[in-house]
Amino acid sequence: MSEKTALLPALSISGASCQGCVRSIRAALEPLTGDVDQVEVSLDQQTVALPESIDTTEAARLVTEAGYPATPLEDSGGGEDNQCGHSGHGESSDSSSQTSKQNTASAHGDQMAVDQITLSVTGATCASCVNTIEKALKSVDGITGAHMNLADNTATATGRAAPEALIKAIESSGYGASVIEDPDAADDRKQEEDRKHYKELLVKMAVSLGLGIGLMVYGMGFGTMMVTETNQWTWINLGILTFGVMVVTGGHFYTGAWKAFRHHNANMDTLIALGTGTAWLYSIVVASIPGALPEMARHVYFEASAMIIGLINLGQALELRAKGKTSEAVRRLLDLRAKTARVIRDGEEQDLPVEQVKAGDHIRVRPGESVPVDGEITEGSTRIDESMLTGEPMPVSKGKGDEVSAGTLNTRGSIIYRATRVGSDTALAQIIRLVKKAQGSKPAIGRLADTISSVFVPTVMLIAVAAALVWYNVGPEPAVVHMMVAATTVLIIACPCALGLATPMSVMVGVGKAAEYGALIRQGDALQTAGKLDLVILDKTGTITEGHPAVTRTHATDDDTSRFLALAAGLEQHSEHPLAEAIMAKAKDEGITPDSVTGFEALNGKGVQGNLDGQVVRLGNRRWLEKEGVNLDGLQNEADAITSEAGTPLFLALDDKALGVIGVADAVKQDSEAAIRRLHDAGIRVMMVTGDVDATARAIALKTGIDDYRAEVLPEDKATIVSEMRGKGYTVAMVGDGINDAPALAAADVGFAIGTGTDVAIESAGITLMRGSLHGVADAIEISRATVRNIHQNLFGAFIYNSMGIPVAAGLLYPFWGILMSPILAGAAMSASSVTVVTNANRLRLFKTSSNARKGGNQ
Amino acid sequence: MSTFLVNAGGLILMATIVWWFWLSPSDGSETNQDHSHH
Repeated sequence: MSEKTALLPALSISGASCQGCVRSIRAALEPLTGDVDQVEVSLDQQTVALPESIDTTEAARLVTEAGYPATPLEDSGGGEDNQCGHSGHGESSDSSSQTSKQNTASAHGDQMAVDQITLSVTGATCASCVNTIEKALKSVDGITGAHMNLADNTATATGRAAPEALIKAIESSGYGASVIEDPDAADDRKQEEDRKHYKELLVKMAVSLGLGIGLMVYGMGFGTMMVTETNQWTWINLGILTFGVMVVTGGHFYTGAWKAFRHHNANMDTLIALGTGTAWLYSIVVASIPGALPEMARHVYFEASAMIIGLINLGQALELRAKGKTSEAVRRLLDLRAKTARVIRDGEEQDLPVEQVKAGDHIRVRPGESVPVDGEITEGSTRIDESMLTGEPMPVSKGKGDEVSAGTLNTRGSIIYRATRVGSDTALAQIIRLVKKAQGSKPAIGRLADTISSVFVPTVMLIAVAAALVWYNVGPEPAVVHMMVAATTVLIIACPCALGLATPMSVMVGVGKAAEYGALIRQGDALQTAGKLDLVILDKTGTITEGHPAVTRTHATDDDTSRFLALAAGLEQHSEHPLAEAIMAKAKDEGITPDSVTGFEALNGKGVQGNLDGQVVRLGNRRWLEKEGVNLDGLQNEADAITSEAGTPLFLALDDKALGVIGVADAVKQDSEAAIRRLHDAGIRVMMVTGDVDATARAIALKTGIDDYRAEVLPEDKATIVSEMRGKGYTVAMVGDGINDAPALAAADVGFAIGTGTDVAIESAGITLMRGSLHGVADAIEISRATVRNIHQNLFGAFIYNSMGIPVAAGLLYPFWGILMSPILAGAAMSASSVTVVTNANRLRLFKTSSNARKGGNQ
Repeated sequence: MSTFLVNAGGLILMATIVWWFWLSPSDGSETNQDHSHH
């Protein structure tokens, strides 16, 4: 074994979320370090520590290639003048690096050591565009990773570079780009632009389809689409008119195709431009010099060019509208933000724009109003509807000292609270950021589609030429017409737009849907893996149970429970022990006033005692009370029942007379059993790990129907159990809190951080559940499965469409049934395929989880 | 003659497509190696 040298944090990475990532990063760096032990990956810090001698630039490159965008840490030190050594940038370089940092801050509230710059991209339509743009961004100096999301037309570059350089790189590839300065404003602007673009596309569609249909009617009404001596000039004029319409309504396809071509790329524009261009060129040659072709081949296809452009414009318009719907979840979250807040300053209440609220301000919220920023209640009590954030349908009681979150609704009383987190720090803002980020992330399945489509377009071009040659050589007359029709049809039908949209559309809807149920998914990969889980490991305390003791049973020997509880509470009101809190809470819930017990005394390891009207009141364990001469035999059965339910029996006695027994336990959450049943129904094995003793663990496992449990587990051993189960071939989810269970969450295939309330930025978990219920796990798994199924349907549809469409377009059916597809039909089919994919993804919006379906919907 | 010209033209076109899109160096020549695995 090699000796381990001192390791220093050398790289800043992003995207590493589990032990699988750690292994991948270590393996990627092995050629450089020679030993995987010489690499330390910190998932919390998102850094990689390496021996000092290692070339960090090369290491960053290797890690980035492994799928985790990385930059050397010495570069991110910042602040050093002229650190990059570039001359001539001067002020603009400084200002742009500032913009870059601002973007990082705005795009990621959580700590990201690697700079990320998000750009809004225009003109991207298909999977090939995605590849071209990612390639262009990665070719910029300083950029180590790039990711384009076709669903919302944004590109994110990781590394350090001037935004202008990135924009230039994208523009020279044939697309438009601009930096997203303020993500919220950008959303509104994008919505406005989309609306405008939608109308524009409809007008273009009307013009080009109008011409195409007009030409067809003319051809049919006046005899034929064939060029004769008498109609030659009419066709030439109509050809020129068609050209004009093609340029005006489909100009973007031609410029896009040209720009891509110059960069040795091919995309959807290339296919449309070549298809419609071939048809027009052939037709204008026929119209200009009909004598050059045999009589049967003097057919014009101007209407095809115009109609194809019209149909594709129609398809893009429909797609744009459907795309808008997929981001509904985020828009709904954005709409939760209050515009103003009633701030109390210097004793005066004033309505201020929410941006002007500072931490520490006191704010009044009246019934029916929403909470403008996060804070802590200082006056009043109410019930707050948090369903929009947590998915929890019942309003929650809140009083002095309780936290309230921005975006939630005050349903009852008037409260005053102190602002603690404002602006982009609020839980709501963090949720919006997380959801947007996850919606843009690409699961492995999507990356596969991208790889395929990058070779797809040139392959289609080859097939088109080959089909044309076959038709020319062995096809019937007029061979030249058939070859042109076959080539055009192949080019048009094969556009990979459906392929490019298949994954991002479903991910966007799926992540949004999960957010509706209070499950925040951090990465597309977590979404994909959650669909494959077959073992869920649950932490006990706070996950299956409430996480704090509560009274589970009370038994009074004289059946007067109220009197019994009043006495117990009278004693415990002086104690601060958790068990005492449980008894006090029970008394409060039942509206019981505690007796006035004096002379309180806490006896360590025994219980508590005091005096009431000259008599000694004792509440404690059996051994102590029996030693004090109290006979507890009559309470034996009750005490056994409490123990079997994983509770602690506390006996109450007045002098030497036993009054009853109270069972206190960390109660199982009301819905844990039902949620575990849902997991079983989904074919998932459920296991529990706990630090508690075996008897307690067994009792809880029995009560909730858990398949297997491990008791007396140290917190640090939970991660080992997760790894062990993964080693047995399970796809494992770990469900626990984000702090104590962080290593186990990170070690699992998918980590669920549960019930963390407002702290949503938990790095170790792939999925954060906003409410404390285990139903969140079942919901997230069901949504993931539905999303992955939806992606499969989309990809299957897109592949089937292309793999069947291309041979048919090439004329494979002709020898058998004499069928040769028209280029116009190909244009319609192509538009239909992308509209189908988008519509299918939108179908996910209607998905209801099994809990919801049973209840008939809770929202 | 025309058959020869059309066929030769077609084959040259196919060769050009292969060369232009796959064999000749493009601007961002590191290309598709980044699609990783997780």
